[in-house]
Amino acid sequence: MTLELNRRRFLASAGVALVVPIAIPHVSFAQSVATQFNPYLRLEPDGIVTLFSPVSEMGQGTHTGHAQIVADELGVDISTIRISVPEQPAEPYRLIFGQMRSVGSFGIRSWIEPLRLASAQARTVLIEAAAQDWGVDAATLDTENGLVRSSDGARGASFAELLASASELRLPNAPTLRGFEGRRYVGEAVPRIDTPQKLDGSAVFGIDVRLPDMLFGAVRLSPTFGAEVARIDPSTASDARALVEVPGGAVVVADRWWTAKQMADGLDIEWGSSPHANVSSADLTAAMRAGLDQPEAPAAASRGDATGALEASAQVVEADYEVPFLAHAALEPIACVGQLRDGRCDVWMSTQGHDVVRVALEEATGLPASAIYIHTTFLGGAFGRKTHGEVAVEAVLASKAVEGRPVKVVWAREDDMRQGQYRPAMTARMRAALSTDGSVEAMHIRLSGPMMGREYSHITIEDGVDFFSHAVLLDQPYCETNFLLDHHEVTVPPSTCPWRAVSSSQNGFFLEAFADELAAAAGQDPIEWRRAQLADRPSHIAVLDSVARRSNWSSPLPGPNWGRGVAIVESYNSRVAQVVEVEMLDDIPVVRRVTLAIDCGEAINPGQVRAQMEGSIIDGLGPALRCQITLQNGGTVQGNYDDYPILRIPETPEIDIEIVNTGAPIGGVGEPGIPPLAPAVANAVFAATGQRRRVLPLAPDT
Amino acid sequence: MAIAFVLNGTPVELDIDPDTPLLWALRDDLELTGTKYGCGIAQCGACRVLIDGVLTPACVTNVGSLEGAFVQTIEGLSPDRSHPVQQAWAEIDVPQCGYCQSGQIMSAVALLAETPNPTDDDIDAVMERNLCRCGTYPRIRAAIKRAAQISQAQ
Ligand code: FES
Ligand code: FES
Repeated sequence: MTLELNRRRFLASAGVALVVPIAIPHVSFAQSVATQFNPYLRLEPDGIVTLFSPVSEMGQGTHTGHAQIVADELGVDISTIRISVPEQPAEPYRLIFGQMRSVGSFGIRSWIEPLRLASAQARTVLIEAAAQDWGVDAATLDTENGLVRSSDGARGASFAELLASASELRLPNAPTLRGFEGRRYVGEAVPRIDTPQKLDGSAVFGIDVRLPDMLFGAVRLSPTFGAEVARIDPSTASDARALVEVPGGAVVVADRWWTAKQMADGLDIEWGSSPHANVSSADLTAAMRAGLDQPEAPAAASRGDATGALEASAQVVEADYEVPFLAHAALEPIACVGQLRDGRCDVWMSTQGHDVVRVALEEATGLPASAIYIHTTFLGGAFGRKTHGEVAVEAVLASKAVEGRPVKVVWAREDDMRQGQYRPAMTARMRAALSTDGSVEAMHIRLSGPMMGREYSHITIEDGVDFFSHAVLLDQPYCETNFLLDHHEVTVPPSTCPWRAVSSSQNGFFLEAFADELAAAAGQDPIEWRRAQLADRPSHIAVLDSVARRSNWSSPLPGPNWGRGVAIVESYNSRVAQVVEVEMLDDIPVVRRVTLAIDCGEAINPGQVRAQMEGSIIDGLGPALRCQITLQNGGTVQGNYDDYPILRIPETPEIDIEIVNTGAPIGGVGEPGIPPLAPAVANAVFAATGQRRRVLPLAPDT
Repeated sequence: MAIAFVLNGTPVELDIDPDTPLLWALRDDLELTGTKYGCGIAQCGACRVLIDGVLTPACVTNVGSLEGAFVQTIEGLSPDRSHPVQQAWAEIDVPQCGYCQSGQIMSAVALLAETPNPTDDDIDAVMERNLCRCGTYPRIRAAIKRAAQISQAQ
């Protein structure tokens, strides 16, 4: 059969230079008539539907959402769907920026239409095949539960019976899509399809992969950013199967990981010099603060005359804010099984960055993309960190050193935490001119810190705009006229990496903590002030109204040392508002209650939207209150969960969530819960104490 | 000398360095990967197993100390996910990424064995040693309470 590309996606990606042939995974049993209808769907004769999802499952629930969408549009029971992430990146699996990646909270909003279209194509030809066979009008037939049925119920045939004849038919480019009425799965809190495997230890994560003949690798990586191995004494690892130099360190290969790890720790390595050998967080913070004082910096957004309006204004509010580097600290550390033999490279890993890994492996092996296979497992958390390919390169180089046997390289927690790829540290100076009614006449936001976009080849920094640094601020909703956003760049030794919500994570804090200061300066209630400024944005108002009502915003709090704070941030095309209640215990904020409302448009799985909101609150509280990465002598101080203390269960606040739908287009869900949390906590601390805390984390020594 | 113990009801013998942490013996020698590595220093709970019924981090327990012990891992909980804790976990749909969940479930099993009707404080006291970066704590709390009900109904 000919393969029909999803036309819209194909057109959307036209202009992307790289065209890779679509990889059709092999049909598992040769004599079967399994039919690959399009890049996304294959139907097996045993009634199983294989859904090739371009998105990795890292806990965000996208696989369940994709299964719901396909089950409804195709007309099958969700239990018949198996999900497979394609082994080779290809155009139909790439996002709008030309990369196959599981990022940007794109999982549902980018793929719902291609998956509906693909499912409708398959449904249409299955129906057509039955119509021809039965000599009836296709319009009298429909699908349900893996069957084509006539509307009078008189005739029926399973998809399996129709596969052979349906596969002879041409797929329609514009099949009729089912409406959202009467759907069985979409819009329902369908249980996650991966839950059973996650209850008995059978779910396979990258770190769990076991292949015949496999060896194990442990790493020893540079304690200083930018240093390479100068000399290794190989005699300290004489029992190793191999000792392999890799970028930034070495891999020791042995029969068991524990043995390899002991040898890696004992290696006698002399490290080369690094330009960053003396760098500390204090130096970097000083450099960033100095950048705030620079008279000018390259502008990312400029409208009207912010500087002039600020000079002329009678009421200017100004405040500086700072956030630290953050580690991802996903529970599953970095790991990969690699194999390089017979001109072919295979990796088994928990990755969210398929094209990044592909490129890294092409460079490391010299093989073409067509010889590289990426077998995606479940991800034990990722949060942006597992976009990168360094461990894949290590595993493949290690395999090469042991005659092509597969090698599983596992990083220790300390390696994971100390090797960079951090959410960037950043400083901001916020200045605004208020008019007498409290509205914002002019705003100047100066950022000083790294520009993460420099580390990404697929997006360029154009006209001063870096999408990895300027989200939320570029289109802040508070100042229409006289707006200036500029960025003094300070380069930093560690690599920086998208961290859940990327720059929205820090920019949401800067903007909403400052908004609270503006409301206070205007003498207005924080919610009332926001309502007034956001009056022409119905979705913003809807989520604000929800949290005001459900938090009993104006009701008395249990004690004088309590406070309530609010924040609202639009990110990833969703609006999230949060009200946080804190109790101050000896100057330490304890978060007691969080009320959250999200408008993400149609919620494909409200149960999973809630799960992501619960998770974002808990995940965000660690960095809001106490987590940070600090540098000393060119390396990272923290190494494990004892000094990078993410939240524990007793600290979980009471959580109330409402999903509101104002009819907006589908937005992201995995990330938008994060940005409003830290500012809402900081604003609650102000409400409780009258003191502004403008530096995250808010209670670093707890 | 080989170390002999009982793993999920089956006698096993291991002839490895007795200083090897049980975590790595389970994962690499016995090929039971349900027990997870998260920190290696008894901080995250991802590796928690039952040794003679006592909840123990496998990452800091050397196999040399296990002669004659009864070790239970997530794989030995039930053949069909029918343990009340597994049932409750499924009903509440607890896991996100799932990586911490073997440890969470083993901790809940140990908690309920000691305290069939746990209060929130009882739950905190045992579960605070299990980290979840995905933030499934509210569902874990709800699922433990549900598991207590299921156990009592049986
Ligand atoms: S790996 Fe044992 S407690 Fe974390
Ligand atoms: S479910 Fe992901 S760490 Fe707990």
